[in-house]
Amino acid sequence: MSAWSGDAGRRLGPRDRLLMIAVFAILFWAVVYPNLVVLLGSLRGEEGFTLRHYAAFLGTASELRALWSSFWISALTVLLSALIGVPLALLFARYEFPGRRLLGALAAMPVLLPPLVGVIAILFLYGESGIATRLVQDILGLESPPWRLRGSGAILAVHAYSMYVYFYLFTLAGLARFDPAVFEAAASLGAGRFRTFARVTVPLLTPTLAGAALLTFMTSMASFSAPYVLGGGFRVMTTQIFNSKLQGETGMAMVETVMLAAVSLLVLWPLARWEGAREYVSPGKGTAPLRVPVKSRWAAIGVPAVAGAGVLLLVLPHLTLLLVSLVPDGSWTVQTLPPRYSLENYAQLFAEARTFRPILNSLFMAGGATIIAVVVAIVVGRLVVSWRVPGRRLLEGMLALPWALPGTVLAIALATTFSVNQPWVGRFVMVGTASILVMAYTLRVLPLTGRAVLAGFRQLDPSLEEAAASLGAGRWRTLRRITVPGLLPAIAAGASLAFVTGLGEFVASIVLYTHRTRPISIEILSQLRDFDLGAAAAYGVLLMVLVAGAFGLGQRWIQGQRVETG
Amino acid sequence: MQAFLELDHLTRTFAGTPAVHELSLSVGEHEIVTLLGPSGCGKTTTLRMIAGFETPNSGRIVLDGRDVTQLPPQKRGFGMVFQHYALFPHMSVGANVAFGLETAGLTRAEVDERVTGALELVQLPGAGDRSIGSLSGGQQQRVALARALAPQPKVLLLDEPLSNLDAALREQTRRELRTLVKEIGITTVYVTHDQEEAFDLSDRIAVMREGRLEQLGPAEDLYHGPASEFVATFLGRAGAVTGRVETIDRGRIATCRLAGGAKWKALTPAAGGPPQPGAEVKLLARPEALAFADRADQGTLRGELKDLRFAGSVYVYTVAVEGGELEVQGGADEARLGDVVAVVPRSAPTGIFAFTVRSLGQDP
Repeated sequence: MSAWSGDAGRRLGPRDRLLMIAVFAILFWAVVYPNLVVLLGSLRGEEGFTLRHYAAFLGTASELRALWSSFWISALTVLLSALIGVPLALLFARYEFPGRRLLGALAAMPVLLPPLVGVIAILFLYGESGIATRLVQDILGLESPPWRLRGSGAILAVHAYSMYVYFYLFTLAGLARFDPAVFEAAASLGAGRFRTFARVTVPLLTPTLAGAALLTFMTSMASFSAPYVLGGGFRVMTTQIFNSKLQGETGMAMVETVMLAAVSLLVLWPLARWEGAREYVSPGKGTAPLRVPVKSRWAAIGVPAVAGAGVLLLVLPHLTLLLVSLVPDGSWTVQTLPPRYSLENYAQLFAEARTFRPILNSLFMAGGATIIAVVVAIVVGRLVVSWRVPGRRLLEGMLALPWALPGTVLAIALATTFSVNQPWVGRFVMVGTASILVMAYTLRVLPLTGRAVLAGFRQLDPSLEEAAASLGAGRWRTLRRITVPGLLPAIAAGASLAFVTGLGEFVASIVLYTHRTRPISIEILSQLRDFDLGAAAAYGVLLMVLVAGAFGLGQRWIQGQRVETG
Repeated sequence: MQAFLELDHLTRTFAGTPAVHELSLSVGEHEIVTLLGPSGCGKTTTLRMIAGFETPNSGRIVLDGRDVTQLPPQKRGFGMVFQHYALFPHMSVGANVAFGLETAGLTRAEVDERVTGALELVQLPGAGDRSIGSLSGGQQQRVALARALAPQPKVLLLDEPLSNLDAALREQTRRELRTLVKEIGITTVYVTHDQEEAFDLSDRIAVMREGRLEQLGPAEDLYHGPASEFVATFLGRAGAVTGRVETIDRGRIATCRLAGGAKWKALTPAAGGPPQPGAEVKLLARPEALAFADRADQGTLRGELKDLRFAGSVYVYTVAVEGGELEVQGGADEARLGDVVAVVPRSAPTGIFAFTVRSLGQDP
């Protein structure tokens, strides 16, 4: 340990101080300030300070019901996601059977669907005139659809489908961190499958599961697409905020925003502590193979069959989206499966400026936000990890804060703060321009790049920078030649996640977009409203492909770098 | 010795490649047998088959007359110490040791008593409440041993348990380990790639190579009568020189004419037919079996001194001779680099082994 990372901290020169103050100021202005504006706004009426809006909120049964709905939907989403994701991960991680690799990779497929795209894919599949719905109706000879994809049940189904992946991936990663010999040790001490699971597997995975539960809960609290499209009369907090805003009830919208943020933070606190409290690291890594081959004949057929059927269920929405995207406009009416297929819809996307515009918008805004968020993360990482500046916990906290705030909350905060021109208090009119969308996207992805890049900084061997310094490299040269290249895997991981999130962004966009700045998600929604399902699906497939491409590229980059650095 | 644990023609293939091939081995009660070999020789796979983590493709594992080949690990009652210990990081030291006792259905009082006893046994009395993370590597190793021994298993299996300790601690621990295991009298199978460790710990050593048992026996037998060139060079050092068998006597001592002209006597391996006169052989010689001669004659081999190494109590000289390179153990200043020296056996055939390269009349 040296001056670079010593507890005493690095001695800061005047230019370093200036940088530090600037970073603090910008993060405060962008991340904290808009939320303060909303908080203060919720306490202000024409008469000055007032609790009138809160009284109205607490006095309205539908508001309280929406808040409660947000909460229980999220709690149930966590439960359902865990019930799907954890067993699936254990199956793929602990057992060896034919097709395991392929099925294991396919099981993560829902991550390729941005929230809104996932919702419409499921709508096409299980909605009132969805393919599966019609199929069941035909087979059973029913007069009306066998089910309705509406209300809380539908929301829960979509949530469980799109969020079990968190549990699945977290559990896989959690298992990979342990010496698989602990499971063998339990067996050699006489513990059967159940006892090993209860006494070893579950306790070891507890911090991991807490992390997954936290992510799922927050995502579900913030979920907008599913309740917006499928909710019907069933309201949750995010849709409630959106409606209040739409109806011009600014005071109420702000109170709702504050309440949603408060409940989210209230749950975040204990779960985050639980996650951090128990971190187990098992020493060394075993050479023992992790997976047990499936032995009995029944299981040898049954396990791959069940896994295959389950995974098929998981990729059906993707396949449906693809299918619908190939259906020419107006050609599919009452048939169960579409009668005609063509590439018309795709040709359409690129043929006209009107339809191509959203694609350009999304690419531009997601790309811009990603670049800004990466740069900010690197600067903050340097201040927090390498220099250990005073107030570094606060800096890190500001970087992570947008994660705890639902997208709707951020959007309302930005829309409120940047709709007036008061330069002396840092408020400018940004509403109606692309800049406010870029800002919203940046804030939304900042926790993603921040988390990845800071972790990258922490893994950097401080002696590398010292070695560079001892070889005469200045600060800039060290940053450019040593630090940033060492961070590349982390940057690639953070950037691909950020870009993907930006590409599919819907929640904040629906509050902030204009016709000129509309992203793909908004265009999907408007095509859906015009009943141009083919075009909506084609946009959806395009997003899916872009997301897959970004993930693939990020992954290759990460792995390529790992090989080089050993 | 009566076989307590018997491995009978065990074969285990991974993706068509045999990791262990037709391995047969019996371990007597209270005996410590070490599986020794380079990495990839199949020793760990063998241990894992004994433990029940791998199922052999063919062959049987018999414990005390009972076939346990198909028995799952939790029903075998074997104690195992893993290479990285595999301690449960979320449990205290005491809970780790108690784990196997609880599965055996002992009462709380019995469990507590046995945990205390096991921790005393490994010289960690009172460590029960400590967390795994607070232990040093050596202490973790002891806890792993206590955990494996607490349920009083029929067989103790150790998978390179000392490989994560530093050199000084490793040497001390292996002596303690042997004393402890002998005191309890538990039948033990130990896996290592470290020759010294095997010498220090074992009653008998099973040298493995490419999935096969190369030789089995007490350390002295292996060292003084290696069955193959591999065993001769894997256990201890040996220089090599080519030659041809002239005569062979009934005690299977071969008289060989070396490439450099000298005539030396050498031991031939006990197994397999002895080399026939006229056969081309490779002579392996232990450094301590050779010395420098004052002058060259019929029994000496002339060569140039290539290298000289200080090995603590002795010096080891490397001499390039015709048809090979020999190592000679000696005192300081017996020769200087570049000198032409004459090498002679101290008391042939001790420490000199002849292995057939090609029999007479065999096509090259």
